[in-house]
Amino acid sequence: MLIIIFRRLLQAVLVLLFVALISFLIFRFVGNPVESLLGQEATVAQRAALEEALGLNDPIHIQYADFVWRALQFDFGNSYRGALPVAELILLRLPATLELALTSAIFALVFGVIAGIYTAINKGSFLTNFILSSSLIGVSLPTFLIGVLLIWIFSVELNWLPSFGRGEVVSLGWWSTGFLTSSGLKSLILPSITLGLYQMTLIMRLTRSEMLEVLRQDYIRLPRALGLSSRQIYVFHALPNILIPVITITGLQVGSIIAFAIITETVFQWPGVGLLFINAVYFVDIPVMSAYLLLVGFTFVIINLIVDLLYLAIDPRLRDTELRSEV
Amino acid sequence: MRRFLQSDLFYSFRYSPVAIVSFVIIVFIILTAIFADLIAPNNPFDPASLNLMNGFTPPMQANDFTGETFLMGTDDQGRDLFSTILYGLRISLFVGVMAVMLAMLLGVMLGLVAGFVGGWIDSFIMRFADIQMTFPSILVAMLIYGVAKGILPPEVRYEMSIAVLIMSIGLSEWVPFARTVRGSTLVEKEKEYIIAAKMVGLSRYQIMIRHILPNVLSPVLVIATITFALAIIAEATLSFLGVGVPTTKPSLGTLIRIGQDFLFSGEWWILFFPAVTLLAFALSINLFGDWLRDTLNPKLK
Amino acid sequence: MPTPLLQINQLTVTLKKRQALFKAVDNLSLTVNKGEILGLVGESGAGKSMVGSAIMGLIDKPLFISSGEIYFKQRRIDTNAQPVRGAEISMIFQDPLVSLNPLRTIGDQLLETIRTHIPLSKPKALERAKRLLKEVGIDPARINAYPHTFSGGMRQRVVIALALAPEPSLIIADEPTTALDVSVQAQILDLLKQLCKHRGTSIILITHDMGVIADTTDRVAVLYSGRLAEIGTTYDVLKNPCHPYTKGLVAATPQINGASLKDKLFQIPGSMPDLNNIPAGCAFYPRCTQAVCQCEGEQPALFDNRTACWLFDKGAKPK
Repeated sequence: MLIIIFRRLLQAVLVLLFVALISFLIFRFVGNPVESLLGQEATVAQRAALEEALGLNDPIHIQYADFVWRALQFDFGNSYRGALPVAELILLRLPATLELALTSAIFALVFGVIAGIYTAINKGSFLTNFILSSSLIGVSLPTFLIGVLLIWIFSVELNWLPSFGRGEVVSLGWWSTGFLTSSGLKSLILPSITLGLYQMTLIMRLTRSEMLEVLRQDYIRLPRALGLSSRQIYVFHALPNILIPVITITGLQVGSIIAFAIITETVFQWPGVGLLFINAVYFVDIPVMSAYLLLVGFTFVIINLIVDLLYLAIDPRLRDTELRSEV
Repeated sequence: MRRFLQSDLFYSFRYSPVAIVSFVIIVFIILTAIFADLIAPNNPFDPASLNLMNGFTPPMQANDFTGETFLMGTDDQGRDLFSTILYGLRISLFVGVMAVMLAMLLGVMLGLVAGFVGGWIDSFIMRFADIQMTFPSILVAMLIYGVAKGILPPEVRYEMSIAVLIMSIGLSEWVPFARTVRGSTLVEKEKEYIIAAKMVGLSRYQIMIRHILPNVLSPVLVIATITFALAIIAEATLSFLGVGVPTTKPSLGTLIRIGQDFLFSGEWWILFFPAVTLLAFALSINLFGDWLRDTLNPKLK
Repeated sequence: MPTPLLQINQLTVTLKKRQALFKAVDNLSLTVNKGEILGLVGESGAGKSMVGSAIMGLIDKPLFISSGEIYFKQRRIDTNAQPVRGAEISMIFQDPLVSLNPLRTIGDQLLETIRTHIPLSKPKALERAKRLLKEVGIDPARINAYPHTFSGGMRQRVVIALALAPEPSLIIADEPTTALDVSVQAQILDLLKQLCKHRGTSIILITHDMGVIADTTDRVAVLYSGRLAEIGTTYDVLKNPCHPYTKGLVAATPQINGASLKDKLFQIPGSMPDLNNIPAGCAFYPRCTQAVCQCEGEQPALFDNRTACWLFDKGAKPK
C-alpha cells in the first residue's frame, strides 16, 4: 500500500514538473520579464544589467530550475498591470474562488447523489422522468447561459438574490470569508448553482446508473430476501458500493469546477482567481497566466491524490492487496 | 443514395423523433446562417448601415425616433438583432467547423503516427494527451488564446482574433480524436492486409494514409459531431468572456454578454433571442450527437 | 394429511414486453411440508428461480404475478411477502462470490440480519453470530473479516449462516452449489441438509443437477417451460419417471457404474422453446418421441397427481 502511495506521489511530481515546464516556457518566451519589471522606457544598459541579474543569460535548464525553485517559494514575478507581485494578487482572490468552488462541489455532490438514488429507486415515476429529461437540457446548456438565465429570473424578475459580487465579507487573518454574513451567503447561492449544475447532472447520472447496477447484484438481493428493510439496504448495502465511482468522478470534476469558475466568476463579477485569469488573458498579462496554470495544475494533482487515498479508506479489498483469499 | 436510404442508420433515424427534430433544427440553423446575406434585412457588420438612433428598439415596435420596426428589436448600437444573430451564427459555425477540422486533422495525424510507429513517439504523444486531458478543454483554449495573443505583435491582434480563436479551440479538442484513432490503428496494423502491403514494399507513409486511415475513420465521425457541439459552446463561452471574436463582429456569445448588461434596464430581448438560438442549436447538436453515437456504436454508451 | 407449510395454487408469472405477454411460470401448483426438502429441477429458463422469487415476493418489473395464490402457514403472502421475508423464509443464491457485500465484514452483515428479526442486545447477537459461524464450520474468530478473504466454499457457508440467522422455517436455495468446485459441493449440501434437519427447517432446492436431487431431496418437481411436468417422491420420480422429459433428464445424468461409462451420454434432442414460442399443446411436444394425438393441440392436466403427460390419460389413443 505504501508503494502505491509512493508511486502516486512520484507521478504527481512528474506531472507538476511538466506543467511547470509549460508555465516556464510561457513565462520566459511569450512574456518579457525585463519589460515587465522595468517598463518600456528603460535604457539598453539597464536591460542588460537586469537580464544578467535575472539569470536570463544562463543555460535554459538552469533558468527552468530557477523558475521551479522560485515557484516553490511562491514567487511568480510581477503582474504587467499594476506591477504587484502575482502571488499577492492570487492570495488576495483565492478565498473567493475556494469558497465558491467548495459550495458548488458540495451542492453538486449532495443533490447529485440524492437525485441519482431517487431516480434509480423510483424508476418510471413522474418526478424521475422530469428530473432525467431536464438534466439532458442542463448538460447541453453552456454554463454562462445558465448563470445569465438565473440572474434574469432570480435577480431581475423576482429580485430575491444579488446578481453580482460577494456581498459583505469578514476578514479572518488574510482569509476573507462570505460564509459569515447573510449578504455573503445570499450572494453565494446563484453562482454556486451555476457552477455546480453541470457537475450535479453528471454525478446524478453516474449515481443512477451505478445504483441500478448495484441493485441487480446478489449482495443486494440477499439482504432483501433476508427481510431487511429497504432503507437499511439502500443506505448500508447499496450506497457504500456506489461511492467509489462517485468519488472518482466528483474528484475529477473539481478540475472542471475550477475551469468553469472562470466563467461563473465573469458572469457574476465574483472577485476570484478566475476573474483575475480572464482579465490576464484579455490584457495578455503573461506572469499571471503562467502562475494560474501552475496553481490549477497543483490543485488537480492534490485532488487526484486525495481521491486515491479515499479509495483506500472505502474499499477493504484495496487495503490488503497481499492478503488474497485464504481457503 | 439508395444505399443510404436502406441502411440501418437511416432506418433508425426514421423511427427516432428526437433525431429527426434535432436534425431539422440543425439544418435550418445552418441554412439560415449560410444564406444570412439573403435573409437578413441589413448587414450588422457594416458600420455605415448602423444608426445609433435605432438603439434599444423593442421587437416588433416602431422606434421612437426613426420609426423603423425590427423583428427581434435592436441592441445598444442600433444593430438589428435578427440580422446580427444570423451573421453571428455564421461566425460561430465558421469557427466551429474550422476548429473541428483542425482538431480532427491534428488528432487523426498524431493518433495514426502514435499507433503505427509506436515506441517513444507513441509514449510521448499519449502522455502529453493525458496531461492535457486533466485540464478542461475550455481552460486549455483560454490559455492558448492568451499565449497566442502574447506572441502576436499588438498591431495584428485584433484582426487575427478569429484565427486565434479557431486555433485555441482546435488545439484544445484534438485528444479524443488521437486516442480513438490510435486505438483503431493498433488493431488495424496487425491485420493481414497491412502485412501484405508491407510485403509488396509500400512505404510506411503509403500504408498509413492509403490503408490504415480509411479503416479507422468511422468513429472519427461521431467524435467530430460531439466536438462540433463542444466547439460551438466553447466559441460562445469565449466570446461571452470577451476573449473571442472582435466586438464589431458579434457572435451569439458576445450578444448574450451585451444582453446581460441591459437586463436590469428592461431590454430583455437583447439577451432573449440570442440565448434561445444558442440553446436550440446546442441542444440539437447534443441530442443528435448522442443519437448518432448510440446508433453507430451501442457499446460506447 | 397435515396442512402444508407452503402452498402454491395455480401460480402464473407473466413477462410483459412491448405490450406482449409471455408466461414465464404457467399455472403451477406445489406444496412444501414441514421439514421436507423439495427439489425443483429443470433446464435454465424453465422458471425454477422465478418460483423462488415469487415466493419471496421479489418479482420485479417487467415480470409480475398475474394469477394464483401463495400461502405460507395458511397466510396469504403473494400480496405482501415482507413480513415473512427473512423471518420465516430466507434465501441462498447461486454465487457466493457476489452475494456478500464486499465492503462490510461478515460479522457486521450477520449482526444486521439477526437484529432485524430478533430483539437481542448487541453482545447477545454477537454471541449468536459466533455460534452460527461455528455451526457452519467457520472459525468464529474470523467474525471481523471481509468477504474477499474467504474462498467460495467458505463464503457459501457464511451465506448459509446468514440465511439461518433469523431462524426461518423455509429456506429457498437457488442453485447453492453450482458456482462451487465439485469437491466442495457435496460438503455444502451436506451441511445445509444437516442444519435444516436438525432445526426442522424445510428447503426448496432449486437445481438443474439430477445428481444433487438424488442425494438431497425428499420430493422433486420437474419444470419444463414454466409448467410442472412431473412431481413425486424423489425415489419414485428417479426410479420410474413418467413424463418423457423426466425420462430424458434421468437418462442424461451420468452414472459412475461400469457399463454406462463407455456409452455416449443420452441427449434429449432439440432445446426448450423460447418464451414467445411455446407450443399450444404440451410444451415438450416438439421434442417428444412418444407424442400422441392430443399432445399437439391440448395442454395436458396433471394426471394422478403425478405427471402432466397425455400418455397417462386413460383415454389416450396412439398416434
